[in-house]
Amino acid sequence: MHADPPPVPRGLRAVVVRAAGGAGAGLEQLVGGFGTAVVALAVLAALTVAAVTVPLGAGLLLAPGALRALHALAGRERDRLSRWGPEVVAPDPAPVRPRAALADPTTRRELRWLARHATAGFLLGTLGVLLPLLAVRDFLFPAYWRLAPQDANATSLGLGLATNWPEAFAVSVLGLFWVALIAVAAPGLARLQAAPGRRLLSAGPETDLSLRIAELTATRAAALDAHAAELRRIERSLHDGTQNRLVTVTVLLGAARRMAARDPAGADALLERAQGAAEQALAELRSVARGILPPVLADRGLEGALSGLAASCAVPCRLDADAPARCAATVEATAYFVAAEALTNVARHSGARHAAVTVRGGAGRLRLTVTDDGRGGADEEGGTGLTGIRRRVAALDGTLTLTSPPGGPTTLEVELPCGS
Amino acid sequence: MRIVIAEDDPLLREGLALLLRAEGLDVVATAGTPDDALAAIGEHHPDVAVLDVRMPPTHTDEGIRAAVEARRRVPGLPVLVLSAYVEQSFARDLLGGGVGGLGYLLKERVGRVEEFLDALHRVAGGGTAIDPEVVAQLFTRSHRDTRLERLSPRERDVLALMAEGLGNGAIAERLVVTEGAVHKHIRSIFAKLDLSPADRTDRRVAAVLRYLEDRG
Repeated sequence: MHADPPPVPRGLRAVVVRAAGGAGAGLEQLVGGFGTAVVALAVLAALTVAAVTVPLGAGLLLAPGALRALHALAGRERDRLSRWGPEVVAPDPAPVRPRAALADPTTRRELRWLARHATAGFLLGTLGVLLPLLAVRDFLFPAYWRLAPQDANATSLGLGLATNWPEAFAVSVLGLFWVALIAVAAPGLARLQAAPGRRLLSAGPETDLSLRIAELTATRAAALDAHAAELRRIERSLHDGTQNRLVTVTVLLGAARRMAARDPAGADALLERAQGAAEQALAELRSVARGILPPVLADRGLEGALSGLAASCAVPCRLDADAPARCAATVEATAYFVAAEALTNVARHSGARHAAVTVRGGAGRLRLTVTDDGRGGADEEGGTGLTGIRRRVAALDGTLTLTSPPGGPTTLEVELPCGS
Repeated sequence: MRIVIAEDDPLLREGLALLLRAEGLDVVATAGTPDDALAAIGEHHPDVAVLDVRMPPTHTDEGIRAAVEARRRVPGLPVLVLSAYVEQSFARDLLGGGVGGLGYLLKERVGRVEEFLDALHRVAGGGTAIDPEVVAQLFTRSHRDTRLERLSPRERDVLALMAEGLGNGAIAERLVVTEGAVHKHIRSIFAKLDLSPADRTDRRVAAVLRYLEDRG
């Protein structure tokens, strides 16, 4: 799913482009960090209140909520940092009961991170927000200085008064200084802001990664299982479908040959049946081949393939696809099969009048939603279709959510990591 | 000849019945599941049962198990098994208890009507019909028995045809040699496989079984 890297320009332009790119990314990280730092301040406040009020008893009631917020925030920060660099691997899920949390190394590390991020991280984030504002304010000063009150400070530093055009342009030069400062310092500031998170939020040397390993092993085994099941399905449809059809053809042809001399009309009838069986074999072969990897997926991408599915669905189906990047072939194939299976279910069981398929991409995830206005009450235990979907999705580390109250509507939501 | 057919694919089942009836054979019952097949066999006591290997519920070896069970209930019942592909373990399970009145053919052989009918009659008469493909695989994969190594290429050809269930005359015809030459080859095979002269049919069966057993 990686886009081609932009061509590397040369000379002065190259330096400017690279600096601008680095500064932009740095600023974006700082501002993102500012967002989590503001929440971190709130969580820190909540935890402090909880700690202080423990003697009164209220703290014990407050603590689980605050700890849950801490874990959620830490999880968000891990995701955010993972987007900007190496993945920050989450340790085991941390406890939310105060006593267990105090002993839990993960929670303690999260607390240390919280203290740093709510203070230093917050200040660095503030810089990330302020610097561009200052740069814009000062650089554009000549454009609006005559509208400003006479005794207002000219520069964002709070110093000096501008009373004539040269002085106003001098302020604009200060704006350029801010821009230069951003270009030079932003990447470093961003790294500084991210450092505590990278160090403290990843699984520490003392944390036990066995759970994560067990999880990876299980999903890997599930992937192999899913593949084996898939191969079995293909083998079976070849042997029990296509091959049987072809055997039928040879049987009928053999019988027709024997009959040709003594009963030409009967032989002709047999030949017609043989032809019918051969046509069926072709149709089955086509469907088997499509089941392996839909050619349409390779030709027209996920969106094109899904629009084909939606168009051929027995229930009128609307497609709303907005997935800019292409995902790994297995991911797209899985999304396609999920949609196909879901629409088959809609057509067979739901009694719906309308269905809709939505695809969204971005942030390394592919989200697929299939909804219908049918009678609902879809039960995962009821049919093997949904179980099959779940297995395929789990094999790719994806998630599946099915909501289908009696009376409908039914919504199937699948989220898949895009892979690369 | 009275026949029971068990095949889960309705079109193929119908095609088989049609073919056999057109040949003047009496298809007394057709079945789509192993249980139905066993019931039909119990009821009609056919001269031969034709069973598909893969049948519901699991589509693996139901036909083989049904064949073994049918022969347990009706000892010596001739059974011809049709398979989508060669699976040695199936052949071994099926033939392990003796090869008399047993056949194991790939499905596509049915289209060669004369050969198929020939095999069917042979099995119904207590003979053997093992698919050339099965025999060929046994040959390529049974190099462990050094006694088999002693056979000349021509003797292997003869043994392969014996394993298919052909008689001396038919073997001579296939190999375009005289029956006397075939007879000589077979004597040599028996000698090399250390099969002492006894009843000839038993030695033929024993020679074929040697391949199957050596597979284990």
